[in-house]
Amino acid sequence: MRPIFFLFLLFISFTIKAQNNAIQAGESLNYNLSYNMSGIMNDVARITMETSEVKTKKSTLLRLKCTAATFSKWDSYFRIRDLYESYVNPNTLTPYLYKREINEGKHYKFVKYNYDYKTKTVKSFIRKKSKNFKSGFWDRNNTIKFNSGTRDIVATIYKLRSLDIHKAPIGSSDHFTVLFDNKESIFTFKLLGKETINTAIGKKECYRLAVEVSDPGVLKGKNANIVWLTADENKMLVYAKFKVAIGNGELKIQSASGLKN
Amino acid sequence: MKKLYTILAIITALIAVILAILPLSNLAFIPAIIALVLGYLAFLQIKKENGSKHLVQLSFLLIIIALSLATYKSIFSTTELGNTEQLEKLEKESKKEAIEELEDIEISD
Repeated sequence: MRPIFFLFLLFISFTIKAQNNAIQAGESLNYNLSYNMSGIMNDVARITMETSEVKTKKSTLLRLKCTAATFSKWDSYFRIRDLYESYVNPNTLTPYLYKREINEGKHYKFVKYNYDYKTKTVKSFIRKKSKNFKSGFWDRNNTIKFNSGTRDIVATIYKLRSLDIHKAPIGSSDHFTVLFDNKESIFTFKLLGKETINTAIGKKECYRLAVEVSDPGVLKGKNANIVWLTADENKMLVYAKFKVAIGNGELKIQSASGLKN
Repeated sequence: MKKLYTILAIITALIAVILAILPLSNLAFIPAIIALVLGYLAFLQIKKENGSKHLVQLSFLLIIIALSLATYKSIFSTTELGNTEQLEKLEKESKKEAIEELEDIEISD
C-alpha cells in the first residue's frame, strides 16, 4: 500500500482546480528582457502582459495581450514589435481566438487560431511576407485536430498561474499541450521549491519551476529554463531564466498593477 | 615582442572604441582592459629599449576614449522604448477585428 501511495504522491499534478482565481481584467505586468552577450547581460526589450475585458453580443471574454518592443538603442540594429493575443474564457482560461503578429527586423509573420470545441479543431491562418506572390504575402489556411486541454502559448502562461501550486509537493510536475506554429508541443513545469528573491517590486517569496519542452529545438539544457512565480494567490511571473539555441537571457519584472489579490 | 604588444594593444583598443559607440557599450570594458595590459607590456619593453612611445600613447588614448564613453553610457543612458505608435495602432485594430470574429461565440465553463 505504501509504495502505491508514494507513487500517487509523486505523480500528483498541480491541476487540482481549473478555475481562475489569479487573474482579472485590468492587470498590467511589465518586464525587461535581457540577453547575455559575452557574459554581460544587456536589456534589449520591454515585454508587457496586459489583460482586459472584451464584450461580444453573447459573451464576455478576457483578452490576454503580450507585446514585445526593443529599446530605442537597439531599434536601428534589430527592431522587434511583436503582438501576441489570446481571447479566453475568464473563468477557465480556455482560449477561443489566438493571434500572433511578429515584426522582427525584416521578418514578418501573422498567425491566427480559431478554436472550435464542438469539432475539436483549430482553424489556422498563417501569413508571411513573400516576394513570390503579387499580394506580397504567402497565406495558408489549415484545419488542425487538437487534444482536449491544448492551448496557445499565451493562454498556457496565464493558465499556469491559475493552478493550485501550493497543494503540489516539491518535485511534482504538470504537462501542457501547446499549439505553436501549427505543431503541438508538450510543456512540462516541474516544481523545484520555494525561494525568496529580490525584484524591482520588492522581496517576493516565489515558487521556482523548471520548464521543459518536448520539441528539443526550443529550450536548451536541463533545469536551465526556470520561472519564478510569486507564492501568493496571484502567482505572478516575476523572474525567468532561459537558455535557447542562440544564447541565454533573463526576464525581470519592472512593475505590476491591477492585480486580483 | 615590443611590436606585437603594440599592434595588439592598438587593435584591441580600436575594438573597445567601436563597441563603446554601439549599443553593446557594456562589452567595451573587456577589450579595453586587455588593451590596457598589452599597452603596459609594450610600454615596459619600449622603456627597456628606449624606443618610440607614440603608438603606445595612441593605444592609451583610444583606451581612455573607450572607457570614458562606456562608463558614461552605463551610468547616464536610460533604457527607453522605441517608437511603439504603430504597435499601439495594431493592438487596437486587432482587438476590433477579434470582437467581430468572436461576436457569435458562446463560451462554456
